[in-house]
Amino acid sequence: MKNRLRVLRAEREWSQADLAERLEVSRQSVNAIETGKYDPSLPLAFKVARLFETTIEAIFTDEA
Amino acid sequence: MGFKFNSPAEGRFNDRMLFIMMPIFTAVVFLGWWGFGYHHFHPTGILAYLFATLASLTAIGPILLIGLYIAEEKDDFLRSIYTQSMLWGIGATLIVTTFWGFLETLDLVPHENPVYVFTLFAFFMGIARALIKWRYR
Repeated sequence: MKNRLRVLRAEREWSQADLAERLEVSRQSVNAIETGKYDPSLPLAFKVARLFETTIEAIFTDEA
Repeated sequence: MGFKFNSPAEGRFNDRMLFIMMPIFTAVVFLGWWGFGYHHFHPTGILAYLFATLASLTAIGPILLIGLYIAEEKDDFLRSIYTQSMLWGIGATLIVTTFWGFLETLDLVPHENPVYVFTLFAFFMGIARALIKWRYR
């Protein structure tokens, strides 16, 4: 699954560690999601969307 | 300066391994050395069952603590790494022990005590965890 997490994070000048702290997950989780190696759970996707004040679909896009 | 863990659950898991499992492991090793090695003690009956149960805690304990960690871990990604590592560890252990069993049946290798199975599982799980973390680096 593709996502715009890195772009959204860069716009706010947050490091991966900053974002991880805000989402209450590990920095490794943020890195794995950003690089598309790991798809977040639905609750975490909602949390990401709420944090960036947008919708899940605006951040994550299905490649299928 | 202390260790920095990836999550509070990981910190609790390490504390439990250190403060609960290490004393049990030390006690079992000491009792084994003192009883069997030094005094050539060979327990029978209830005492033998008790010692076997105590010794088995060195395998039961870590499995329970891993289960507790997986239940407590709120970070999906970290939990998935642990779960994947356990599955690879279990799979590799089953493959190796089954293969060894067939070799034993054909008298190609000597009989090995099954108490080493958990050590084998821990070894494979450790390797799997390192490889999975490297994959997601």
